[in-house]
Amino acid sequence: MAKKWGQFVRGWMTKNMELPQDVMMDLPRITMIGQIHIYIENHRGLLAFSDKELRLLLKQGQLLIRGKAFIIKTILPEEILLEGKIDSVTYISDTD
Amino acid sequence: MKNQWIEFYRGLVTVKASGKGIERFINALTRSGINIWNVKNHGTQSVTFKMKLEDAKKIRSHARNSDCRIEFLQRAGAPFLVKRLLKNSGFAAGALAFFAVILLLSNMVWGIEIKGANPATEYQIIKELDKMGVKKGKLQFFVDNVESIQRQLSNNIEAITWVGVELKGTTYHLQVVEKNEPKKPEYLSPRHLVAKKKAVIVDMFVEEGRPVVDIHDHVQPGQLLVSGIIGKEGQTETVPSKGEIFGETWYKSEVILPLKSTFKVFSGNEKVKHALTIGNLEIPIWGFGSPEFEEYELEENEKSVKFLKWELPISYVNKTFREREQVTRIYSNKEAFEAAKDLARKKIKSSLDENAKVMGEKVLHQSIDNGKVTIAIHFQIIENIAEGQPIIQGDSE
Repeated sequence: MAKKWGQFVRGWMTKNMELPQDVMMDLPRITMIGQIHIYIENHRGLLAFSDKELRLLLKQGQLLIRGKAFIIKTILPEEILLEGKIDSVTYISDTD
Repeated sequence: MKNQWIEFYRGLVTVKASGKGIERFINALTRSGINIWNVKNHGTQSVTFKMKLEDAKKIRSHARNSDCRIEFLQRAGAPFLVKRLLKNSGFAAGALAFFAVILLLSNMVWGIEIKGANPATEYQIIKELDKMGVKKGKLQFFVDNVESIQRQLSNNIEAITWVGVELKGTTYHLQVVEKNEPKKPEYLSPRHLVAKKKAVIVDMFVEEGRPVVDIHDHVQPGQLLVSGIIGKEGQTETVPSKGEIFGETWYKSEVILPLKSTFKVFSGNEKVKHALTIGNLEIPIWGFGSPEFEEYELEENEKSVKFLKWELPISYVNKTFREREQVTRIYSNKEAFEAAKDLARKKIKSSLDENAKVMGEKVLHQSIDNGKVTIAIHFQIIENIAEGQPIIQGDSE
């Protein structure tokens, strides 16, 4: 109940005080350059990595990226830059 | 992205990790602040990535914790390059030593060639050069320059009149002209001896020919002294007359000498500076500061460094500052006359033959005006007044 309440307050604050959502709500910020680059901030770690698939842990749920010839160009505790041919980016939420 | 160049200087390694917990391993690495990049998948459950060399030691424990086997594949960057360079430093040292030796050998004296001297003079010249430090195997920087070698040689060796010194590459070429050149065969065609100038004959020594004048005779220039036609009348023959006729001749010499004169002399104090010049840049090696002399003469000696046949823009410069002083000389009247007489004597001697003798002198007049001494001296001189005059055939009839 307390967690839900905290989320509600944050949602209300961002909406009414015009603060960026990714900062306030720990959401990932994803930047894509065409199909070749994807840059994800605010992730919580690597779950699976192969040259066709990358699975990232988020604060809420997971992010699944599919494609071909993946190379992690840089990986930092909260950032990752992936290179390759990206076919799809999918959110997998664990609440369902 | 990171600056790859900085990573290159620090050194980087390519790591291959294989096992089940690769993802866990990568997460552990990133959380402990180890930078990794270029993570590539190679088949099942094995990845390669690059990382800094300084982090390489830390990953062992992480690998153990996350069930991974790691393997270092490739080492790159400056630390490994340096290591290899050190291992192969012999080559670099050899190349450097090679150039150093060539540079050294290009600046040595490798030969001295003397032309135009007979063996005795040549030996003397070689000895003199040796004394100056010019010999095979010497470095050219420590050898005097060509002009001074030339000057010293012609000053110190009596037997040579002139010597030309030239430095071609590593060899000194000396062109010598000797004083005692083989005597030319004497003019032996028939001739008379005639008087050179007005004189009174004092002594005669006739080797060949018929003297026509006698001691105490007064002769005019061009007058016949010794005839080349001998024999009785009708049976004459012509000979090259030979001999020396000493006559008393007269010269007048006039000298003007100022009482007060200033001239410059070296005081003997000097300062030497050594420097190395590269292009226009001058790097002092020894001798700093400017000389404290008010007036000085600067002698500059520049020797460029040679490499094989080329001259490098590097040169060694040797500067000598010699202090100069101004000296004023003031003669008293008496001294001035003495000096003027001396000067007159010297002047006369230099214009005469070697075997001429000064018999007497007489001051004709001496005066002082405008701070100058004027003196006129009359000299009596005994010298050979004979001069050859060829007998032209047909003249004798």
